[in-house]
Amino acid sequence: MKKLFCLLLSIFLFSCNSKEKNLAKNNADNSMPKEIRTDLYGSWVGDFTVLERDTTREAKEKYRNKINIVIKKITATEVTGQSIVAGNSRPLKGFMRRTGNTFYFTLKEPGDDKNDGVFTFEIQKDTLLVGTWTAFNAKKEVTKRKFELTKKEFKYDPNVMLEDVDSYIDFENPKEKLITDTEDQEDTEEGEDSTSTKKAEPYMETVYRAASEKIFNINSSTQKLKESDVKNLKKIDLEILRNTIFARHGLTFKTKTIRQFFDNVQWYVPIATNVDDQLTAVEKENIVLLKRFEKYAEDNYDSFGR
Amino acid sequence: MIKITLQYIPLNPNVAFLQIKQTEVNQIPFYYPIFYVHVYSAIFVLLAGFSQFSSTLLKKYPATHRNIGKVYVFVVLFLSAPSGFFIGLFANGGLYSKISFVTLSILWFYFTLKGFTSIKNKNITKHRAFMLRSFALTFSAITLRFWKVILVYLFHPAPMDVYQIIAWLGWIPNLLIVEYYLYNQLKK
Repeated sequence: MKKLFCLLLSIFLFSCNSKEKNLAKNNADNSMPKEIRTDLYGSWVGDFTVLERDTTREAKEKYRNKINIVIKKITATEVTGQSIVAGNSRPLKGFMRRTGNTFYFTLKEPGDDKNDGVFTFEIQKDTLLVGTWTAFNAKKEVTKRKFELTKKEFKYDPNVMLEDVDSYIDFENPKEKLITDTEDQEDTEEGEDSTSTKKAEPYMETVYRAASEKIFNINSSTQKLKESDVKNLKKIDLEILRNTIFARHGLTFKTKTIRQFFDNVQWYVPIATNVDDQLTAVEKENIVLLKRFEKYAEDNYDSFGR
Repeated sequence: MIKITLQYIPLNPNVAFLQIKQTEVNQIPFYYPIFYVHVYSAIFVLLAGFSQFSSTLLKKYPATHRNIGKVYVFVVLFLSAPSGFFIGLFANGGLYSKISFVTLSILWFYFTLKGFTSIKNKNITKHRAFMLRSFALTFSAITLRFWKVILVYLFHPAPMDVYQIIAWLGWIPNLLIVEYYLYNQLKK
């Protein structure tokens, strides 16, 4: 009798145990994918501005770049996303805390790239993402940047154009030019001090390449360009027209020369480091044509030849 | 100039200047071969010209002068000028440059032909005058490119705006200088 009781008890205990195990398993399954605040998902876009820079070195990194922080998934324990800036696209991983109505995020880049760092930011009133980025490598030229981003989804629109409000000047590639003009000197008023009569010394002046008005009229994504359309364009015009195609597709630009032209463009949202598979047939043909003319301009414009 | 010509060896339909003439290369029959006739022939004309105004050569080796001269006349009349006329019809820079290059090729042909016929008639003064005119136009190959460098350095104009200007600036001053020189010779 005693033996039988023991057996029953052990069976009873055993069955209880397995039930508990199952229950624990179910709980784990439920909590895993529970996503919260999906309304914050998407692209947050704005300026990525230098806060701390090693001024003892030559300034190589741009003062301001356009950044896109994509929030992909938020759960109670983990947040994932992507940072896209200056030709780099890095995965982000971290967590979110809530204090009152404000959400605080800490998101880290993987750390295997020399430009990786950690983003800390808050989202105010669900509309403004404000924070700073700190480089993992404290010896980098720029170790800290700040940003204030608003939500802006990327959408490919072949019809968007550069707006004719800015003049497009290449400040990244200045050239020194010798000026030996003496004309100005002769205009000086009488009775001025004797320096005005001195012969003007030749001096160096910094000159920049400026784009022509044509870049506002030619759409390189929708019209199939002919040689005659682009023949009278300077190299800078050709470069801008070609890269406008990539900007429409949300390419993040590696070179500062190109970034300076597009970072201020209102519709431009950097989203990927390669958009080649997104290009339309017309765009592909135009890129080949423009590239050819750029090469010709590079090789021939100011040299002895045609 | 030899370096510029060497860019076009080996034959390539999409190199140097032809990079921006793909419409013509693909759509105009014979543009590509005729362009190459012009490039390969004109370089010899340019070189041949340098020896022909040397009076030492003329006095000491008159046969050499005649032989090089014959090559010059043959190449200009049958190769360089006709090909220049043809590619001039499709010149960059629109109507203004087309008129310039076509006129240039016709005058080139005419002066060279006149230079040849006048020496056949033993008229040395006339021969010399026309050959000077002919070479003034031959030399535009160099002056045109030279002006381009200067204009681009000074004003950074759009490429085809430069082209319209150098199309004329390349040969008209050359011809004026020669005419002025001939006019002074005449007075003596």
